[in-house]
Amino acid sequence: MTATITRGLTGVGAALAIAALLVLSSGKNPLVAYEALAQGAFGSPDRIAVALNKVAPYLLTALGVALCFRARVINIGGEGQIALGGLGAAWVALTIPAAPPVVLVVLSALAGAVAGAMWAGLAALIRLTRGVHEVLVTLLLNFVGVLLVAEALHGDLGEPGAGFPQSPLLERGAWLPKLVKGTDLHVGIVIAIVAVFVVHRVLWHTPFGFRLRVRGASEKAAAYAGIDMHRSFMGVMLISGALAGLAGAIDVLGVHYRLIEGFSSGFGFTAVSIALIGGLSPLGVLPAALFFGFLETGALAMQRAVGVPSPLVSVIQGLTMVFVLAAIALGGARRRV
Amino acid sequence: MLEMRGIEKSFGAVRANRGIDVSIPAGRIVGLLGENGSGKTTLMNVLFGMVRADAGTITFDGRPLVHHTPHDAIAAGIGMIHQHFMLVPAMTVAENVMLGWEDAGAWLRHDAVAQRIAETSTAYGLDLDPHAVVGALSLGAQQRVEIVKALLRGARLLVLDEPTSNLSPPEVARLLPVLRKLRAEGRSVVFISHKLQEVLDLCDEVIVLRDGAVAGACPVAGATRETLATMMVGRELPPPLARVETTPGREVLIVSDLRALDDAGVERLHGVSFSVRAGEVFALAGVDGNGQAELADVIGGLREAMHGSISIDGDDVTHATVTRRLRAGLAHVPADRATTGLVSAMTIAENLALRESDAPPFRRGPWLDLAATRALADERIAAYGVRAEGGDALVATLSGGNQQKVILARELGRRPALLLAAQPTRGLDPGATRFVIDQVLALRAEGAAVLYISTELEEVMAVADRIGVMFGGRLVGVVSRDDADLTTLGLMMAGAA
Ligand SMILES: Nc1ncnc2c1ncn2[C@@H]1O[C@H](COP(=O)(O)OP(=O)(O)OP(=O)(O)O)[C@@H](O)[C@H]1O
Ligand SMILES: [Mg+2]
Repeated sequence: MTATITRGLTGVGAALAIAALLVLSSGKNPLVAYEALAQGAFGSPDRIAVALNKVAPYLLTALGVALCFRARVINIGGEGQIALGGLGAAWVALTIPAAPPVVLVVLSALAGAVAGAMWAGLAALIRLTRGVHEVLVTLLLNFVGVLLVAEALHGDLGEPGAGFPQSPLLERGAWLPKLVKGTDLHVGIVIAIVAVFVVHRVLWHTPFGFRLRVRGASEKAAAYAGIDMHRSFMGVMLISGALAGLAGAIDVLGVHYRLIEGFSSGFGFTAVSIALIGGLSPLGVLPAALFFGFLETGALAMQRAVGVPSPLVSVIQGLTMVFVLAAIALGGARRRV
Repeated sequence: MLEMRGIEKSFGAVRANRGIDVSIPAGRIVGLLGENGSGKTTLMNVLFGMVRADAGTITFDGRPLVHHTPHDAIAAGIGMIHQHFMLVPAMTVAENVMLGWEDAGAWLRHDAVAQRIAETSTAYGLDLDPHAVVGALSLGAQQRVEIVKALLRGARLLVLDEPTSNLSPPEVARLLPVLRKLRAEGRSVVFISHKLQEVLDLCDEVIVLRDGAVAGACPVAGATRETLATMMVGRELPPPLARVETTPGREVLIVSDLRALDDAGVERLHGVSFSVRAGEVFALAGVDGNGQAELADVIGGLREAMHGSISIDGDDVTHATVTRRLRAGLAHVPADRATTGLVSAMTIAENLALRESDAPPFRRGPWLDLAATRALADERIAAYGVRAEGGDALVATLSGGNQQKVILARELGRRPALLLAAQPTRGLDPGATRFVIDQVLALRAEGAAVLYISTELEEVMAVADRIGVMFGGRLVGVVSRDDADLTTLGLMMAGAA
């Protein structure tokens, strides 16, 4: 455990140090840049709220990815599943706007989870019946999922005369409740953190989680253990799709209050990075998601204040990933699964 | 040639090597013996630089080896062949030899290397095709690839960690002359084995470890299996359990006209029929590769039967899932322990739960019952003499023999109606082998049916009521225990009777 924490912190430190050199080489003072970054991330309750709102969908999606990767199911379809989740949530919210507020928001969020699960389930079905590898299927379904959202927004779900592919504003009753009055912070982060502990519990304390770990460790041992490879594949894909779908719903119901074309852009792959940096463990994914969320939130402020281009943040994320993964590879020859 | 002095190595609370002194003279084959977990592999890993010793010195050919890596060890002239091979199955023999070898050049000189492999192979009678894909080779041939690798890298001391435990007798018979030839050239060999007869036939002297320390060393001349075994265990092995007379009861396992393909889609089992009764041990002898592995897989539910049927206690399980077979009373000790029988990155406790995580005591309500699992693990560790820190130890940290004991503890501990055991004593020391045989006989006395697959004739003779011999994917003969003699069985195994 302490080794894991040290590894993570070392990775982050090394990445920040190298990025500092890059800032320096572009003629800016890295200390000033990092201060702006920190200000942008933690400077005010509002900034923190923005960051935590970003963390919630990352966390949910990365949890699903971690679970899949553990079971050696390479689901990289987070983006499409998020897109469908947002679509499902917006569709329900727009279809039954008159429903009582609590019912409306709960149903919309659930619809998001169901839609995400169905999208992942479709990928699983193609994998299991047609034998196309899940990397390919989930990747390609990302494009289809994003296009489905666009299609809906250009059609029935679009706001007439908006000039931009987006849905009308959702009924207030469908908005996620705020966690802290006067800020934008919504309950998504709480849902995501609860999900962390639920997934942790499932992975380490249920026969289902045990089967996932066995199947990820050795296919032969899984067959010998009597694990139904198809069922567990479908199971983990559905769970992971539901988590991603919920993430999409939370983003729509909590941040935008409407469905917007491209709202899910980049989320899926960020979630994969977070899952990997988190060592594919639910508890490890939590700090990794926080890191990514706050870093990205601070980045824009840094760009505004110092003129350091915000893509530098992608560099820091990439370097962190390289360092942490290298440390895991070096220290983890006898890692427990 | 090699001097190791005061080697100390602990893993947590386990002291694997506690001040070991050994010296290996040039031109000798030295047997390294010891019970499972006595520290043989650890000592050799220290020598090869795979594991850093806590204390002690190593001198090889007059030069000290300190803080060395396997790479340094190879450069110094030490070759090591591990219990589990370190080859890339998808690559050819030549590619495997070139892997990580500086003499192969920055630009790989494929043909030159292939040429040298062919030469070495002829010189030592290794019979290797440099262009063959390693994954398609038999275990014996893969081992010879490892030997070629070591020789081409200029090994003057070759360490073989249990080289014969996965080999069939004919493969062993072709390995031993190779090692003798190395000795004749002035090279030395460290030979780790639990098969005492082999050690007596091959080695010049033996070093015996017990509990991480040297328990004795002696020349082989004058030693017998009994004296060696006593040195290893520190006391005399008790006599084997007396076989109680049982009257075989109902037919528990009925296999009829079974056919199956191997992984490559070639038919390896051509219609095998037999039955095993309650209170009876039916042993299948035969050289590895004559269909036993496929037969065991099909009965265990790991391979589809192409034709024929299997029933357990009257229940037709020909196409049943593994779980249903388990419920029908089947216990299965698979021949492949590393990736089928165990998940080495999980704990001992989890591995005991491997096949029944859905049932008590491993499960309570919707949850895994970790406390009960751990308690069971502690109990089994004690009952089966597994050398481990506790139920939470990762299986990967156990010695080879102790890993095998974990499988046995899980499968035998279930008190099954039918035991399917494939090479169950592979890698076990003589004491543990005796323990397994005693356990099998105890199951038999309780009325279980046992199908015992082994390439070790001696073991087969010790446990079996009836002995069947497989050759070329067929059951070529069945003899009862009283009529069996080694010569006839040997002829049958060679397909000559
Ligand atoms: N990496 C490790 N971590 C923890 N314990 C270990 C590790 N490697 C070995 N051990 C322990 O050290 C002891 C000696 O193991 P070793 O593999 O040297 O035995 P061995 O004599 O080769 O046995 P075998 O005949 O079964 O192969 C065992 O108790 C084993 O559990
Ligand atoms: Mg060993």
